[in-house]
Amino acid sequence: MTAVEPKVVPGEVTTFQVASPDLEAVVRDLATALRLADMFASDGDTTTLRLVWANDTAGQAGYIITETPLDNGIYPALSDIAPAAFVEECEIYEQFGIRPATGKALNRVMLPPHTGQPPPGLPTLGHKPEAEPEEARAQHTVGGQAFEFPFGPVRQVGVESLYYGLVTSGEEVVDLYLFSWHKHRGLEWRLQGKTPEQALFLVERTEGLSAVALGWALAAAAEAATGSCVPEAAERARAVALELERLYNHAAAMAALCQSTGLTVGQSAAEIALERLLRLNAQAFGHRYLFGVVAPGGVTRPPDADAIRTLLPGAYGEFNRAAEALLGTNSFLDRLEATGVLTAAQASGLGLVGPVARASGQLTDSRRVPGGPYGDETAVATGTAGDVLARFTVMLAEAAESVRLIGGFLDAGTRLGAEAGIPEFPRTGGAGLGWAESPRGEALAWVELGRDGRITRARLRPASARNWRGFDDACRSQNVFTDIPIIEASFWLTVAGMAR
Amino acid sequence: MTAEELRETIARQFGRSLHIRTLDTGSCAVCEQEIRLLAAPHYDLNRLGFFFTPAPRHADLLLVTGPMIRAFAVAARKTYDAMPGPKIVVATGACALGGVYPDDAFTHGTVDAVLPVDVWIPGCPPSPLALLHGLGVAVGRLADKVRDLPFTEDRDPERTRGGS
Amino acid sequence: MTLWFIRGLRRGVVTTRYPARPDASGPSLPAPPAFRPQALTSHTADLLAAICPSGALRRDRGVLVYDVGRCTACGRCAAKAPHAVTRSCEFELATTDRSALIKEIPVREEAR
Repeated sequence: MTAVEPKVVPGEVTTFQVASPDLEAVVRDLATALRLADMFASDGDTTTLRLVWANDTAGQAGYIITETPLDNGIYPALSDIAPAAFVEECEIYEQFGIRPATGKALNRVMLPPHTGQPPPGLPTLGHKPEAEPEEARAQHTVGGQAFEFPFGPVRQVGVESLYYGLVTSGEEVVDLYLFSWHKHRGLEWRLQGKTPEQALFLVERTEGLSAVALGWALAAAAEAATGSCVPEAAERARAVALELERLYNHAAAMAALCQSTGLTVGQSAAEIALERLLRLNAQAFGHRYLFGVVAPGGVTRPPDADAIRTLLPGAYGEFNRAAEALLGTNSFLDRLEATGVLTAAQASGLGLVGPVARASGQLTDSRRVPGGPYGDETAVATGTAGDVLARFTVMLAEAAESVRLIGGFLDAGTRLGAEAGIPEFPRTGGAGLGWAESPRGEALAWVELGRDGRITRARLRPASARNWRGFDDACRSQNVFTDIPIIEASFWLTVAGMAR
Repeated sequence: MTAEELRETIARQFGRSLHIRTLDTGSCAVCEQEIRLLAAPHYDLNRLGFFFTPAPRHADLLLVTGPMIRAFAVAARKTYDAMPGPKIVVATGACALGGVYPDDAFTHGTVDAVLPVDVWIPGCPPSPLALLHGLGVAVGRLADKVRDLPFTEDRDPERTRGGS
Repeated sequence: MTLWFIRGLRRGVVTTRYPARPDASGPSLPAPPAFRPQALTSHTADLLAAICPSGALRRDRGVLVYDVGRCTACGRCAAKAPHAVTRSCEFELATTDRSALIKEIPVREEAR
């Protein structure tokens, strides 16, 4: 029996080998103390199942990875013990053809229905499954007839394609299924064979609104795999970019909230703040959405600290004035209170991250993992109500903290001594986990590099890939159709990040 | 219809009031954010006679992002077919123009593999100003100037250092 | 609502006059690069075609085929060969003719 200590070493990633027969007991043990952050498989001589566990407690935050070779291509039904694993079980079936032991019905996640598609179908990371996923639907007992109506994938103006299956008996939302296979670009498959430097181009564009966070997570994973160090000034430069990313995303979420409640004048005020923040990004780092800032080993360029110091107060002032006016507008607040409630039990059971989890009382923030540029005084905002208003107030508190953090990082210095650029990234083998706190929550990346330094397996887990599973719970709690866009704006996720 | 007649028809039908429908064929979500900003105070597309509409039946122009993921092609075609003629298709962003994702098992790689594209707007993402220029080109109000841009610079970098 | 109305009036107008007047923010955004044929040797052109992650650069006999439409302005080619690659500062790139975005940059043959 492998004894896996649930105690995480703060700031570190410890990997444990767990034999296949012991896996169920180990998962039961770890699930009581830790959060299941991710689960994925990779092919090699045998298929290996990895589970990533996170400790979120302040001062002790870090990660554990359990590795289990699946000798006979089967593993226990972990989602019965940890519901946070269900979507990943479905993904593993689609990509590797391996089912969990109880053989329960699995849903479609990434791959489109095969009807009409000529063989050989889409490439997968391992063996293709022999049969399509069953796509079971939950039983509903509702007064009158409940019917499912499909909506999308082409939706309102200027939003991503997303396909809902809305189950309703009239006005209330009985259930909500989400399908994102029409946006599956096969990112993890594409990254195979690329160097970390080449991979960063695609990883930033997996979910462009989290370009810095995902880029940082991948770069950190490659740095962990090769044992590379990043200079402190470069870490702070990355953190400045990440906080700027958080600020503009929260401004965009505020604009979307106003749009969903029909408050056009508030939407315009938030959009003015958003535009000023995007122009600030362009001045600070050369791109409105901060593409091309993170590189393996550091950053491609230091921020223009003078531009940030000059422009940030005005841009944040705009944001804050809009936020304060909104908090004083009762017709707006009435739409937000008690809408889209996610209980603490739902948030922790599904392993949610980011402002969505924090507004439901979960104290999870990967910036508090020691060893990065963030200090212990980084304030983490939480709420208890778990409704749209709680998520909104958490975002506002985070924005204020971001401004304070940016000032601190710039003062501590973000310029590297020798401006010669980043040295050539080492071409060696290894495996590593990286993370960054995106505006939507913890973004994870894991890479395995071959001896030539090229990726043999990359795992991308943007926060969206984790948090969409909480969306139907939030929509179900006594809400009506018109609340769905409001709840969607308060989650502020992307379909691209879920579909990859 | 000659090219000149076509230009005149477009300018007459769409020049002063154009309704735009957006279509995401697999973007990373940033192109959509720039498109949403077209209605924001800094850019305000309405002052130019452009309007967004959620209904394909009401739309004159289809603004398409993303590399045309194969699994989405049917939905894309249905959206295009639901728009009554005359209609214009604008492919926007590097993904839609063939960059970033190649023609492979997952993606067509370009929007014009599935839909008849009339205007192409480069960028990653195209900024709201670039989008306004593209919409202006689509209705014949702004000049299509990239053909005459050589994208070369003949100045010797050594010589410019001395100042001229 | 009075609160919003007064705020709005005090805020003033931020709307750009583009396209009637030029907008200063346009040229300062990342733009597809321009190339210096004098500095673009065959070797350099091969390096640039290999490093472009978006397929915008391709070698052909005596030229570097540059598809402006595929360019994402990521800056990798400029970082690789700063003497041969420069900023174009162009953002009005929309066209009704896809081939207008494909440029052939002459490559300087090395003296034998």
